[in-house]
Amino acid sequence: MVTKEERPGRRNVLDRLLKLSVFAWAASIAYPIIAYFKIPPEAESIPTNVVAAKMNELKVNQGKVFRFGNQPAILVRTPDGQWKAFSAVCTHLQCTVQYRDDLQKVWCACHNGIYDLNGASISGPPPRPLQEFKVTTKGDDVIVSKA
Amino acid sequence: MTQRFHILLAVLLVCFAAVAFSENRDTCLSCHTDTGGAEAITFRNDIHFQNGVSCADCHGGDPSAEDMEAAMNPAKGFLGKPKPADIPAMCGTCHDDMRQDFEKGIHGTGLKNNSKGPQCVSCHGIHNILPVKNQLSPVSASNITKTCAKCHSSVDYMKQFNPGLPVDQYEKYLTSVHGKRNAEGDVKVATCVSCHSNHMIFAVKDPRSPVSPMKIPSTCSHCHNNSKYMAEYKIPTNQFDDYVKSVHGVALLKNSDLSAPACNSCHGNHGATPPGVESVSSVCGQCHQANTELYDKSVHHVVFQQQSLPGCVVCHSNHLVKPPTDAMIDFHPDSLCGSCHSDQPDDKAAPVIRSMRATLAGLTKGQAEAEQVLNQAEQLGMDVTETKYSLKDVNQSLIEARVKIHSFAKEPVSESAAPGLKVIAQAKEAGHAAIKEYYFRRKGLGVSTLLLTFVVVLLYLKIRQIEQKSKKS
Amino acid sequence: MTGLKSKFTDWIQERFDLSQVTHFVSEKKVPYFRGSFWYYFGGVSLFLFVVQVVTGILLLMYYQPGAQTAFESVHFIISKVQFGWLIRSIHSWSANLMILTVFIHMFSVYFAKAFRKPRELTWYSGFALFGLALAFGFSGYLLPWNTLSYFATKVGTEITAVVPIVGEPIMHLLRAGSDVTTTTLTRFFGLHVAILPAIFTVVLSAHLLLIQVQGISEPESWKEYPPEKKSFIPFFPNFVLKDVLLWLIVLNVLAILAVYYPWELGQKADPFASAPAGIKPEWYFLFMYQSLKYLPAKIWLFDGEVVGVLLFGLAGLLWFFVPFWDERTPKGLRNKIINYIGILAVIFIIAMTILGVK
Repeated sequence: MVTKEERPGRRNVLDRLLKLSVFAWAASIAYPIIAYFKIPPEAESIPTNVVAAKMNELKVNQGKVFRFGNQPAILVRTPDGQWKAFSAVCTHLQCTVQYRDDLQKVWCACHNGIYDLNGASISGPPPRPLQEFKVTTKGDDVIVSKA
Repeated sequence: MTQRFHILLAVLLVCFAAVAFSENRDTCLSCHTDTGGAEAITFRNDIHFQNGVSCADCHGGDPSAEDMEAAMNPAKGFLGKPKPADIPAMCGTCHDDMRQDFEKGIHGTGLKNNSKGPQCVSCHGIHNILPVKNQLSPVSASNITKTCAKCHSSVDYMKQFNPGLPVDQYEKYLTSVHGKRNAEGDVKVATCVSCHSNHMIFAVKDPRSPVSPMKIPSTCSHCHNNSKYMAEYKIPTNQFDDYVKSVHGVALLKNSDLSAPACNSCHGNHGATPPGVESVSSVCGQCHQANTELYDKSVHHVVFQQQSLPGCVVCHSNHLVKPPTDAMIDFHPDSLCGSCHSDQPDDKAAPVIRSMRATLAGLTKGQAEAEQVLNQAEQLGMDVTETKYSLKDVNQSLIEARVKIHSFAKEPVSESAAPGLKVIAQAKEAGHAAIKEYYFRRKGLGVSTLLLTFVVVLLYLKIRQIEQKSKKS
Repeated sequence: MTGLKSKFTDWIQERFDLSQVTHFVSEKKVPYFRGSFWYYFGGVSLFLFVVQVVTGILLLMYYQPGAQTAFESVHFIISKVQFGWLIRSIHSWSANLMILTVFIHMFSVYFAKAFRKPRELTWYSGFALFGLALAFGFSGYLLPWNTLSYFATKVGTEITAVVPIVGEPIMHLLRAGSDVTTTTLTRFFGLHVAILPAIFTVVLSAHLLLIQVQGISEPESWKEYPPEKKSFIPFFPNFVLKDVLLWLIVLNVLAILAVYYPWELGQKADPFASAPAGIKPEWYFLFMYQSLKYLPAKIWLFDGEVVGVLLFGLAGLLWFFVPFWDERTPKGLRNKIINYIGILAVIFIIAMTILGVK
C-alpha cells in the first residue's frame, strides 16, 4: 500500500496543472468581460446629437451637409450669423438638398425646389417643409440635436 | 242680293273676330312696338318669340289687357325689369338645368356676391337671343371669345371680383394657333368654352374644373387625340397616348403629383404654342434647372442649335418622356449616344462616353456587390443594419452623377460619383469585417471550450483523488 | 503562498470566530445513492441566478429603458459593444435554462417528499423563489421593447384583469395605466433590476440558510435503513467540487448556445400595428395559456377565462400548501397520493406545453 507521503509528486503535478488550467480558463472568461467595458466608437446608441462642425468651419452665408443618424442633414450659417439645421432630405423625391449662397436659400438640385431659412418650401415641387433641428454651440463645437 | 251680303259680312265678322282673338292678343308687344321700343322690335328676331314665348312668359303681367295699368299689374304677376341677380331664376323657369349648372360655378358665385356679376343675358343678350349655332349669336364659336373678353379683358371690371386674375387671356389667345384659325372663321378650333365649359365654370384650382392640372391632358385630348376630328389639320394626334405613358403622365395622373407638367406647363394656356427649337431647353429648364444649366454650357447645346435640333427632346422626346436608363450611354446604335457617336478614334465623344458609362457602371455594380456582401453577413446572423443604411448615400451619388451627364464631360460625372464609390468601399469593408467576426466568435468559443475541457478533466481527476484519499483513511 | 493564506485566516480568526463555521461546514454530508444526481439541480439554479446577476449588471452598463431608447440600446449592445452579443445571448438563454432547472428542482423535491417536517419552510420559500423567477422572466421579457415582447406583455397583463374584483386594479398597477406604454417599460425595469432582486436575495438567503442548518434531506426509503447501509459524501470539498464541475459545463453550454443560437432582437415594437399572427407567451407560460384556450367560453354563469385563471390560482395554492395537507393524509396512502398528483401535474404541463408550441 502506497502511503500519502510516497505520492507527493503526483499530487503536486495535478494541483499545479489544475491551478494553471483554472487560471487560463478564468482569463478566457475575464477577457470578454473587460473588453465589454471598452467604449465603442459611437458612444451614443441613438444619435440624439451630433457635432456637426467646428465654430470656425463655416463662414457666414455657408452651408454644410453632414450625417445625422442614418439620414443626411444640413447645417447653415445664415447671412446674419445665426446657426440653422434641417433634415437634408427633400420632401419631393428625397434627393439631398444643399445651400446656395447666391440665393441665400436651401436648394434641391433634382427639380429646383427652394426652401427658405425656416425650412418652408417657397418654390418648386416640394410639398412639405424641411424638418428643423436644434443647434447649440458648446465651446468650439456646433451640436445638432433633434428638436 | 241683300241676303248674300249679310252672309258675307257675317263671315267677314267671324273671320275678323277669329283673327282678333287668335292673334294671342299680345298687348305688350303691340304697345311697345307702337311706342318705338327697341326690345320689342328686336324681339321678333329672338328665338323665344319664334317658338311662341311671349313677353309675359318672362316679365309676367296680363298680355290680353289693353289698358297699360291692367297689363302691367303686379297683381297679375308683373315683374317689370328684373334685377340682374334674379335673371338666372327667370330664365331658369324653363332652362332649369342650365341655371343649376350656372349657380354651381364661379360665375354663379360672382353674381351672388356682386350684382354687377355675370348672368344669362351678359353673354346671350336680351330680347335678341339667337341659337348658339347661328354664327351671329354672341355665344357662337365665332364670337364667344369676344363675348368672354368683354369682361375678362377689363381690368376695372375684373378687379371687383378677383384683383389677382390676369386679364390678358384674350390677347394671348389671338396669338395662338387656336386664336388665329378662329379669327379666320374655323369653328372647329378651341374657344374659351371648349376648355372652360359654358355654364358650370369652376376656378382653375378647383379639381372639378376641366382645366385643373390633373384634368388638362384629357381636356386637350378631346380634340387632339381624335384623329378624325383633327384630320384636316395634318398634325399628329398621338400626344396624349404618349404623354400618359411618360414619366410626367404617370406622375400627374397616376401618382397625383401636382408638380408634374401637364400640356399647358410646356405649351402655355391661352397663347398655346409648341415651343420652338431654341426655347425647348428653357421650357424643360423650368423644373429641370440643374440639367438645363449643365446642358446650356455643354458642347451639345452649340451643336444642336447649329443643326436646328430641339435640345432636350433629341434624347428625351417631347411627350413620351421615358425614365432614363444608364443603357442610353453606350455605343451600339440602339442606345442614345450611339445613334450619333461611334467608338472610333476620330470621334471626340468616344472617351467621354466610355468614361461616363464606366463611372455609372462602377456605382451600380459596386452597390450590388456591397449589398451582396452585407446580405451574406446578415444570413450568417451578423447585424449590418447601420451599414445598409449608409448605402442610401450611394443613391444620392448616382442621382447627382446622372444629372452631371448633361455636361457631356468626364470630370463632373466622376466628381459626383466619388463619394458614392467611397461609401461602397466602406460598406464592403464593413461587410467583410462582419463575416470575419462571425468566424472569430466560433474560434473564440473553440478556444474557451478547449480550456474548459482541460479544467473539467483535471477537476474530475482531483475529485477522484480526494475520494480515493478519503476511502483509504 | 500557504503562509500568506494562514496569516490571513489567523488575522480574521482573532476578530471573528470562523472556526465554528468551518467546523460546521466540514461536518456536513450529502446522501449518496442512485438518485442523488437530482441534488445538483438546486445548485445549478443558484449558479444560473448568479450568471443572470453578472450578465444583467453588465447589460445595465449600456441598456437605456424607455420606448424611444430601449430597443436601440439593445441593438447597440449586440452590434457595437465588444462581446455585447455574447453577454446578451447568455442572459436570455440563462433565463430560460434557469426556469427549466427551477421546475426540475421543484418537482424533484416534491417527488422526494423533501418538503416534509422540518423542511416546510424551505418548501414555502422555494415556491416563493419559483414565483419570483417567473416574475423575473415576465418583467425582463418586455425590456428589449420588440414586437414579441410588447404583445406578449399586453396579452399577459390582460389576463390578470380577468380575475374578479382585484384583477383590473392589479393590471393598472402593472401597466402603470390602462395600456402598455413607456411607463410600463420603466416600471418593469424597476421591478426587474431593483425590487425583484432585493426580494429574491432575502428569500434566497433564507432558503439557503435553512438548507445549510437543516442539512440535505435523505430519501424516504432510508427511513427503514440501519446507519451502516446509508452512504454519504462530504459536502466540502467533494459535493462542492462536483457542483463546480457541473457549473463550469453549464457555463460552457451557455456560451455554445450564445454562439450557435444567438437570441434574436426582432423589430422594434409598434403599438399601432396589429399583433403578429400566432402570438404566444414564452414556453414557461405556455401550458397555462394553452389550457385556457380549451375552456368553453361560458361555464355555468362565469366566463371560461375567469374560471381557468381562478383554477390555476387554486392549483398553485394547493401546490404551495402540499406540506400542510400531506400531513393530514392517512399515513399509508401518503406517498401514493403525492406521487399520482405529481405525475399528473408533470404530464399535464408537458402535454400542454407541447400542444402550445405546435
